[in-house]
Amino acid sequence: MGEELKRILGIAIPLIIVCVLSGAALTASYDLTEERIEAVEQEKITESLSIIFPGASFTATDDYYSATMGGEEMGYAFIAEGRGYSSTIKTMVGLYPNGTIRRIYVVSQSETPGLGTSIAEPDFTSQFNGKRIEDVRLRQDGGVIDAITGATISSRAITDTVRERAEVVLNETR
Amino acid sequence: MEDLLVIAVGAIFVNNIVLYWFLGLCPFFGVSKKTSTALGMGSAVIFVMTCASAITWPIYTYLLIPFNIEFMRTVTFILVIATFVQLIEMVIRKYKPSLYKALGIFLPLITTNCAIMGVALLNIEKGYSFIGSVVDGFSAGIGFTLALLLMSGIRERLEFANVPRSFQDLPIAFISAALLALAFMAFSGMRL
Amino acid sequence: MKLDELTKGVFKYNPIFYLVLGLCPLLAVSTRVDNALGMSLGVFFVLVSSNVIISLFRHWIPSQVRIPCFIVVIASFVTIVELFMHGYAPELYGRLGIYLPLIVVNCIILGRVEAFASKKPVFDSFLDAIGMSIGFTLGIVGIAVCREVLSTGKIAIFGYTLVPTFTQSPSVMMILPPGAFLTIGVIMALINYRSIRKEGR
Repeated sequence: MGEELKRILGIAIPLIIVCVLSGAALTASYDLTEERIEAVEQEKITESLSIIFPGASFTATDDYYSATMGGEEMGYAFIAEGRGYSSTIKTMVGLYPNGTIRRIYVVSQSETPGLGTSIAEPDFTSQFNGKRIEDVRLRQDGGVIDAITGATISSRAITDTVRERAEVVLNETR
Repeated sequence: MEDLLVIAVGAIFVNNIVLYWFLGLCPFFGVSKKTSTALGMGSAVIFVMTCASAITWPIYTYLLIPFNIEFMRTVTFILVIATFVQLIEMVIRKYKPSLYKALGIFLPLITTNCAIMGVALLNIEKGYSFIGSVVDGFSAGIGFTLALLLMSGIRERLEFANVPRSFQDLPIAFISAALLALAFMAFSGMRL
Repeated sequence: MKLDELTKGVFKYNPIFYLVLGLCPLLAVSTRVDNALGMSLGVFFVLVSSNVIISLFRHWIPSQVRIPCFIVVIASFVTIVELFMHGYAPELYGRLGIYLPLIVVNCIILGRVEAFASKKPVFDSFLDAIGMSIGFTLGIVGIAVCREVLSTGKIAIFGYTLVPTFTQSPSVMMILPPGAFLTIGVIMALINYRSIRKEGR
């Protein structure tokens, strides 16, 4: 019995030591990088908000940001997130209270370079400016947005998530 | 509620784990010389992938998220998967020797099979529910087996083909995989 | 010769073309040269640190649990790379996606740790890791160069254009999955062709 226990401990203790050391190393690096990662993520949001409503000030609620400028309400901004072809596409959307899109800005995506990545370019995103929520669909789905040739899936993903989230946010604000 | 059929078809055909995500390539080229071994490897992968999805999802959701240690995901997942595979190997060796004969030799290979780890990570990344993750794991396994079987069928025939010397064995296998991937790309046109 | 430990990974036993290891990240991340470089950096850090650490402690790790120990060490370094890349290179972090945590199951790393570092002295393991990383980098960047040139008609690294656009109708297929398989197949055939001709002489 004693021999057996010794054998088991002889195997287990080094493994436990390795795990504890690795846990300590990871916690240390997490502490080192935590602030930096948060700042990076926060900066992405702030940057995209100021692209959607330049010069406005924002108050955050649970789901969206309301933008005001000079005491006057401008509209809402929110993140729409959905699966694209090969990545999660995160889009910042600006919405007027009357249900038209102000503009959209792709915060992060990693679609196929050269094809799906074109959804982040102004040629594609500017199509959303001033469109009514219900029209935000691809042309082949009965809407007004032209899909990028060779990247229909990415185009449809971003269009549909923007519309769906916009509908939810608009309902909440009423 | 996510549509399980969409997840399944997506994982088998559209985003095939081998031909789209490039995961599990080592066994894909390593054990695809004969159809029979391909089938054995495939079944082992289906089994482990389904179980791994079922285990890693609750660990991430109920252990890592509440304690705010999502960054430990990589370490936790690989350890859990490696331990699980070892356990399975011991259990079936003891209680089901016939099954061990069929699957056993493939199990150690699976620990470092990136497809298993990849599916566990993808489930989290895609934000699936528990059922969704299990279905995704199972279907990804089916997709892997499908790709492996097709590949082994092709390679069995290539044995008799007159392949130029410099292309023999692996290079021609890669070229065949390219054609296979090209064929699978047609599935991405499906509207799910 | 110490130098052999370094150079064998680069040419003679190139992890990609000779040992055929680490294919998954190789094919998935070689869509663009800068992604390939980012991935190589991650692999370099993880491989060198794991090899050195494991070699340092090789006498204390019982052989029954060596694989779990190796995996924990490797996974820890991968997580450290993840955390720092998220903080200091967020864009690259986003583009590498799940392939960054998947370095942990990259067969090159576990393979080198098991076959080399767990048996050899620290300095040899260090050289071995550096050689293997350089070999991996050569392979992945080489494939990425082929794919990026053929699929976009130019090469741009971190915003700087290295090779200006030379064609207006590039082959999009090369950036998609089939292009990856095709590229590595042709490169391996070329390597075989060379060695067959050498033999013939």
